[in-house]
Amino acid sequence: MTARTGTPGWAMRNLVYGVSGWVTLLTYLFMLLPIAVLIGFAFNAGKSTVVWTGFSLRWFQKVVGNGNILDALQVSLFVALASAALSTAIGAVAAVAITRRSFPGRDLLAAALAAPLVLPEIVLGVALLVFMSFAGVTLGYATMIVGHVLVSIPFATLIVRAAASSLDPRLENAAADLGADEWQTFRMVTLPQLMPAILTAFILSATLSFDNLVMSTFTSGVGTTTLPLRIYSMLKLGITPEINALGALMVLANVTILLLVMGRYLPLMLKTNRQ
Amino acid sequence: MQRARREQLQTGLMLAPSVLLLGLFVLVPLCVVFAYSFALRDPYGAVLPGFTLDNYKELIQGVYLQIFLNSFSLAAMTTGLCLLIGYPVAYYIAFKAGRAAPALLLLLLIPFWINFLIRISAWVVLLGRGGLINQGLLASGLTQLPIGMLGTVGATLVGMVYAFLPVTVFPIYAALTPLDRRLLEAGADLGAGPGETFWRITLPLSLPGVLAAALFVFVPSMGVFAIPVLLGGGKEIILGNLIVQLFLEFRNIPAGSAVSILLLVFSGFGILLYMRALRRVEAMK
Repeated sequence: MTARTGTPGWAMRNLVYGVSGWVTLLTYLFMLLPIAVLIGFAFNAGKSTVVWTGFSLRWFQKVVGNGNILDALQVSLFVALASAALSTAIGAVAAVAITRRSFPGRDLLAAALAAPLVLPEIVLGVALLVFMSFAGVTLGYATMIVGHVLVSIPFATLIVRAAASSLDPRLENAAADLGADEWQTFRMVTLPQLMPAILTAFILSATLSFDNLVMSTFTSGVGTTTLPLRIYSMLKLGITPEINALGALMVLANVTILLLVMGRYLPLMLKTNRQ
Repeated sequence: MQRARREQLQTGLMLAPSVLLLGLFVLVPLCVVFAYSFALRDPYGAVLPGFTLDNYKELIQGVYLQIFLNSFSLAAMTTGLCLLIGYPVAYYIAFKAGRAAPALLLLLLIPFWINFLIRISAWVVLLGRGGLINQGLLASGLTQLPIGMLGTVGATLVGMVYAFLPVTVFPIYAALTPLDRRLLEAGADLGAGPGETFWRITLPLSLPGVLAAALFVFVPSMGVFAIPVLLGGGKEIILGNLIVQLFLEFRNIPAGSAVSILLLVFSGFGILLYMRALRRVEAMK
């Protein structure tokens, strides 16, 4: 980087750097301002989401007292935890097998596990719907959990794979040399090293499930309306500050989780992204 | 010998859940959809066995063709805009932000982790007739009457870019950070200007990230259905809306299956293009 002040190169670099700086600033305003406005109007006293009439917490009270929303929240939480547990378990075991074992079709399985990432989710959802009605299965928790596992398993597998492939095999050899059997080695040496990745995979899977609309649209049944499905039908009817209040509460919950857990594991996530 | 056997058995057990999951809930269902796309349908919506190409023939008709073109152009515009905006942002975070980089990445994750419907609802409010943008325009005297922004393609596009921008930045950032700064300095030392360094070193080396970002934006944006309804007023139907309507409203499973297969084929085509381009980029190095 030797371009000197005053040369045309210097001007050009300032332009390139300057442009990227300005674009970044505007992009962050574009990304974050709507959320700020949304949260601001959650505290509006009136029914309007655009005209400020005073401070009030009534919309938060309304959300907390809305049975439909609470039911949907319960469904969402259950599906998120169940599908994340399944997805992480299946994905982690497959990831360890892919990085540690050799078997025919290993590359194919690795690609197949990443496939839902690049296949349109809507087609996966439709296929599951058609298959379930073909097989005579009633739509409900089971179908939705399966659908959400399909959505999150590529991420769970990739995250654990990245961690498993960077493990030092000498540690396991050392454990074996010291007399640990296979299971002991796995439980006391391998697993603890994979735990951060497994936890990250679980949280990411749960978040993807909690946020999911497309897969849920096709796999939810009677009585299994998730929060995004409920929000979608509320939005189609029109927006009241109740949506804003709900949004503000979700922002609060998400940011808290993000800062508590992901802040700690962000470097690990970025490492995964890079591979 | 026995040990090898046991290991084989173990590996089999480890693989069984994922193979079963993918086989039973992805592969078989996709085959059923494929079969249904050639099936007939009685007036009440039940699928009848048989073989017909009518479901596909219908797709080449005017209305469907228009829907397809709408989807393609919306996805292409979304991808283009996301790359155009996302690249400088990734560049800035990778090379310029310094110690602020982790915080910037975290900030970028926050909207990504807020329910996307709620994020879209924020734009419904902002772009509305009485919304803040119109209030600002009126107050500044730029317009005399509020502009009807909601329910236009432009509003849909804003929502799409808003939803997919974080997905764009991460792969590009991931491709830019490991770039060897010494290469860039060598370029400069050999007399390349910053523009030339960028065009001949930085951009080509970051192309795999750009291609990945394009794929992650393009494929899902072909199947989106909520954003065009909420921001575009549902006026312009795209493939995602069509699939939802055919399956959940009209109960026309054979036609819906044909559209789904078409979307799948196009995504597959996109993935192939991506892999070919990636190979060419890697051959260039």
